[in-house]
Amino acid sequence: MADWLSDSDNLHIPVSMKGTSATKKARNTISAVLVVYVLTVALNLGEFWPFSIFPMFSQGGNSWSRALVREMPTGDAVSWNSAGLDDLPGIPFGVASKGIDPIDLANFVSKTERWDPIRVRALSTMLFASEAPDRRLLIFRVQAQLLDGGEVAIEATPYVLIAPGGVLLNPIIKP
Amino acid sequence: MNLNLSDNLFGFHDADSRGQRIYRGAFELFIVIATCYLAWKWGRYTLRIGDVVLPLGLARYLDISFMHGNNLPLWNAGLITLLTAYGFSRLGRWSYSLAFVLLLFQYAARFSLGEIPHSANLVGIGLLGYALGDIAYSAHASRSKFGLGFSIFFVGLTYTFSAWSKLIASGWRWPDGRHLWMWINEKAVDEIARSGFVELNWIQEWALENMVIATLFLAFGLVTELFAWLVWFKKCRYYVIWAILGLHIGIWLTMDILFQLSMIELLLLALPWPAIIDRVLKTSQTDQI
Repeated sequence: MADWLSDSDNLHIPVSMKGTSATKKARNTISAVLVVYVLTVALNLGEFWPFSIFPMFSQGGNSWSRALVREMPTGDAVSWNSAGLDDLPGIPFGVASKGIDPIDLANFVSKTERWDPIRVRALSTMLFASEAPDRRLLIFRVQAQLLDGGEVAIEATPYVLIAPGGVLLNPIIKP
Repeated sequence: MNLNLSDNLFGFHDADSRGQRIYRGAFELFIVIATCYLAWKWGRYTLRIGDVVLPLGLARYLDISFMHGNNLPLWNAGLITLLTAYGFSRLGRWSYSLAFVLLLFQYAARFSLGEIPHSANLVGIGLLGYALGDIAYSAHASRSKFGLGFSIFFVGLTYTFSAWSKLIASGWRWPDGRHLWMWINEKAVDEIARSGFVELNWIQEWALENMVIATLFLAFGLVTELFAWLVWFKKCRYYVIWAILGLHIGIWLTMDILFQLSMIELLLLALPWPAIIDRVLKTSQTDQI
């Protein structure tokens, strides 16, 4: 019989004694874990996996920033102007086809302050692994804010073009 | 109603039926399988990461880039699999602890691009519970009862934390339906990024058209989380777990976020499985400890 099905551990041990001792250990262990929990989240901005203050969706109504990708047909000129979601150039491109989590892409784009060659290469690696780009992909940063009337205003700004011939950055971002 | 937390969470004094032992074994097995799933999933994804954007967890204290650009994440996943298998087979008292530490590295390497997910926290905490149970107890029944009770305790605590985070960050106006509009649009952009297209479902359309409905969705979620700590008590446990499951189904329908592992864990806590197993096995007679 499998170990977890057997009750051999329970033989010959008075219930109350064993239970009391086990209870005390449980209380001490959980107390210690709670101390570590509080210390780690306090010293690490609320996150030290698997401990967390679980702040997701805590800031109601705050502006947000995401990212999306459009494939630009060869020969199409690239405009660096912002546009609404219905007016984006190129054709839809789903990052799932490259095995990428869209939230990783969004964070990569929004949290990158300096687009130096290392960071640009990391973005290319994310989209094309170690292979050379075989198509022109335009990466947009999408930002939204809640207007006074309750309307959600969304605007997409092209940031980076990764193409077989090289990479182009929107002049508004720091290389 | 017995308000003794230890009795409600661990039941060290309680008589043990065969159904209870099978159930606790199944819960532990779920934590083991979920741990291995995460280790391999994170490990394979890490192979695509070329730079650290936002260091999380352990990566705030050591340069986690040694896990990038090589097959170390896959070796680590293999080691975690081996160690959890050892832990489940009772072949090593420190196996789960080592697996937990290696999983911290796996997490830090995978989530170094800025995403801070919370879909796997309950599994990580579950593994920690069994790791500590193995160290603290020599009797198998006690280790097993502690592991399960530890998970239940942190299910209650973490969801309650989540409610307080919302109240502290946004106050009582958090359930304002317009906030849900922002999040539905945010997740719609994520879906466009993921697949290239998005089609809102009828629940999302309904919430976007009707602010009262959107507000009610959020209010239900907040109240459920605020009272999640009631899972600590057996009398309330099933009702609260079902409410939390309802919360997750709501999040899935409105924001297209499905916490699969958390939902499976909650389903394992949502029904009187030991009694059901006992009935199936026709062994309602309990074995005395």
